[in-house]
Amino acid sequence: MAEQRIIIEIDENGKIHAKTEGIKGEMCLDELQKLLSEYVDLLSITKTDEFYQQNELKNQTKNINKNKKI
Amino acid sequence: MSAIVRTVTPFLNKELLLQALKNIGCKYTLEGNDILTDRKDYYGIQKFSFSNDRYVFLHDSSAEYNSPYMNASRNYPWGNINNQEYKSVSEFLQAVGEEYEKLYQKKLEELERQRLEEEQKRLEQEKLAFIENLTNKITQKAKEEGYTIKKEKVKGKVKLVLTKNTY
Repeated sequence: MAEQRIIIEIDENGKIHAKTEGIKGEMCLDELQKLLSEYVDLLSITKTDEFYQQNELKNQTKNINKNKKI
Repeated sequence: MSAIVRTVTPFLNKELLLQALKNIGCKYTLEGNDILTDRKDYYGIQKFSFSNDRYVFLHDSSAEYNSPYMNASRNYPWGNINNQEYKSVSEFLQAVGEEYEKLYQKKLEELERQRLEEEQKRLEQEKLAFIENLTNKITQKAKEEGYTIKKEKVKGKVKLVLTKNTY
């Protein structure tokens, strides 16, 4: 069982800073989009190490599959 | 032939007029809509009376500074008018008018300051309402997505900690 955590801070001007923890790869962006996209305009996204972990896993799997085919 | 006409300040506001009289040292009493001054002339007490949307100064016209009577005698025999700081009616009205205009300007500045304060308050309330609404919408959406929510306020910011267990 893994815990997904999203921390959302809304400052006194209504600006949002959101951070995900325990959600790897593009799923973290999907989760944020689900929660916020209706209500805010996105300014920027900074990808953390966790984001690339899952992507690296995917790439590794792809490479393994390629090697198998060869 | 040409002429220059000057008119007295229209005294529209009772509160300002009373304050102006007080500021120039003119004592007064109120009688209905009339403001009775401590100045007197042949017809009795000189007073401001509300007429046609403004306060008009009612007095004996022979008490005017340039009236033939005043020019001839240089003395005003009725009442205590010569003991007043503002001897003629026109001098008196000019002094009241100047003071009234000063007070009017101050009042305008005060109203403008109040208006700005109220506008500032309104904008701030609008922003707070937006933040509260936004917080509620995100909280509702997070519940629908299966998150448990912890809400707290940290240094003026709203902090939402959303957690969900996945298998």
